[in-house]
Amino acid sequence: MRGLVTMVQRLLAIVGKELIEVIRRPGALVSLVFGPFIIMALFGAGYGGFRRPLETVVVVPPGSSIPTDAASYQKLAGTGLHIAAVVQDAATAEAGLAAGTTDVIVITPADPAASFKAGQQSVIEVVVDTIDPIRADYANYLASNLSSAVNQAIITRAVEEGQGIALADGQTAAAKIPPEVVAAPTKASLRNAAPTEPRVLAYYGPAVLALILQHLAITLIALALVRERTSGVIELFRVAPIKAGEVIVGKVLAYLLIGGLIAALTITLLIVGFGIPLLGDPVSLAAAIALLLLASLGIGLVVAVISDSERQAVQLSLLLLLASVFFSGFVVAISEFAEPIRILAYALPVTHGIRLIQDIMLRGSTTQLWEYGALMLIAGVTLTAAWLGLRRGMARA
Amino acid sequence: MTEQAGPRDAVIVEDVVVRFDDQVALDGVSMTVPTGSIVGIIGPSGAGKTTLIRLLTGVLSPTSGTLSVLGEEPRRFRRETREGIGYMPQSFTLYPDLTVRENVDFVASLFGMLFFRRRRRTREVLQLLDLWDVRRRRAGKLSGGMQRRLELAGALVHDPALLFLDEPTAGLDPLLRTRVWDELRRLRQAGRTLLVTTQHINESEECDLVAMIVEGRLIALAAPDALRRQAMGGDLIELETKERFDGMALAGAPEILRVRQDGPRQLTLTVEDAGTATPGVVAAIETRGGSVETVRELHPSFDDVFAALVANDRKTRAARADEATTDSQSAPAAAA
Repeated sequence: MRGLVTMVQRLLAIVGKELIEVIRRPGALVSLVFGPFIIMALFGAGYGGFRRPLETVVVVPPGSSIPTDAASYQKLAGTGLHIAAVVQDAATAEAGLAAGTTDVIVITPADPAASFKAGQQSVIEVVVDTIDPIRADYANYLASNLSSAVNQAIITRAVEEGQGIALADGQTAAAKIPPEVVAAPTKASLRNAAPTEPRVLAYYGPAVLALILQHLAITLIALALVRERTSGVIELFRVAPIKAGEVIVGKVLAYLLIGGLIAALTITLLIVGFGIPLLGDPVSLAAAIALLLLASLGIGLVVAVISDSERQAVQLSLLLLLASVFFSGFVVAISEFAEPIRILAYALPVTHGIRLIQDIMLRGSTTQLWEYGALMLIAGVTLTAAWLGLRRGMARA
Repeated sequence: MTEQAGPRDAVIVEDVVVRFDDQVALDGVSMTVPTGSIVGIIGPSGAGKTTLIRLLTGVLSPTSGTLSVLGEEPRRFRRETREGIGYMPQSFTLYPDLTVRENVDFVASLFGMLFFRRRRRTREVLQLLDLWDVRRRRAGKLSGGMQRRLELAGALVHDPALLFLDEPTAGLDPLLRTRVWDELRRLRQAGRTLLVTTQHINESEECDLVAMIVEGRLIALAAPDALRRQAMGGDLIELETKERFDGMALAGAPEILRVRQDGPRQLTLTVEDAGTATPGVVAAIETRGGSVETVRELHPSFDDVFAALVANDRKTRAARADEATTDSQSAPAAAA
């Protein structure tokens, strides 16, 4: 009985000591409590999720029969392109492209209607100057849309002319179908079955939260243990009647408390400050966050065990953050990666954390219950590895 | 505190060798530490004192040899055994962001002290070490001397049966050193066993036994007086005669081992035991026509004792090396 009491007391001593150490470091406290708030606030306030329309100059060769007013082209281009000007001189437009004031140049054919009537295809030349493949793809997509719109306009006009001729010939049946329908017989209508309207902030807010929690958990616990190892406190643990498992459990409990508190504050900000809904059960959300934190703390402890210095621990934590940004589905969908890389993605707690938190908050529940299991598995494996490593470290000399 | 039962020898070290790569940190050290004694471990920096302490606390493993501390092999201490051990490492290893009181309370918790006893003992040790007034100050803001006292408080707080103190008085002023030694003696009186390393060689006087380590070897282990005799070849008597006296006249006198003439009337004599030999020495001088004006037992400082023992050890080793060289040279000649 006394053994159990002293063990609990040792655990509480470690928990208390870790909490005091975190609170006593004002810089750490600010970055811990206010850091996530600030990041979240900046993200919410600054990111609209909509691309700025590309500044576009249309070049209409001299003597062309097609319109030369910007409004006509803007109507065809939609919202992705902003038709800044219609010019006759391609060189002027290219100078703007080189100077960075113009994103896209659209060079129209001289007489597309004549070419059409002659049974020839006209070419709308789209010029961009970018080394960003995503931006180039986007420009290409907008150019295709523009081309489709122009094609549709040409077909509509041709149908109007054809129907005019048919009416003049008394063939009224030929004019029953509106030219717009002939030009575009179908159009897509999207219905979203999700219970909430997709919003950029609502979608990315939970993901940012998961990323912040993982990073904080890894960094804090790794630094706490590495500091003890490098300062020599671990020598006290070697002599004292405390086991590696107790050190780990004490630290994990302390940082679960801290992480849980930060998560609660940040979720409150997401819900109250940014209007992101919480459709699901708060208990499920708490369980997902607790497992995310536990798995992250396990990884942090492994980082601490294999690091020889605080600097190395920080470097490894940042590498994990970088890997998380790229592979967790935060930026690029996991399905876009090759199979072996997906394994890396699923080995990161944040991958599962993002999915679970998003599902619980925005869908009300998750069908991906295996993600809880994955987090438990990561936690189990990493905490066991850290325990073995620390036990070896405390015994070795 | 109550007298604690335990084995007669709290620590037994037998032929222990510790090697770090190709460097020998401890070379065949054997010693025993009786329960309820203070054993001082002295030696120059890098001699192996801290290595010995770390071995005995189970932090290090010996390359060879056997160790027994409180009847157990240190690497396999049971939890209850660990609760009875106090350890003060050489460098500051507590938490700079915790206050003085929080640090001591934390260590006491680790060693299994329950709340009320912990609170009382924390107060006691902090008062003892003059840290009570700064109990709310963070450890990182303490002076070097205060930090040493805080480490000492951590080692003492759980009232251990066996204390390993690695230079507990380093950085303390003489007054506080005296108080620390008073406390260590009080602990000894209460049946505690203490192993204390120190660079203040004169603190050896405070110990029941002194282990002298040089270059990883234990060159002497004895009570301070016995060690002094061992270093000087016996007790020293310093005397002054009324008239000029030739010390050579004392050659062959019983109980006098050596005579050194320090001046026309001043002599330093080496005897087996100053207490019993002094009357005979006075009589021997008077028999030879001299008359003694003053006589007193000379207590050389432990710095001198240490220097003499190291010099003796070097001479002995050099002689052994010479013998070995001579043997190895004469063996082939004899074979031929």
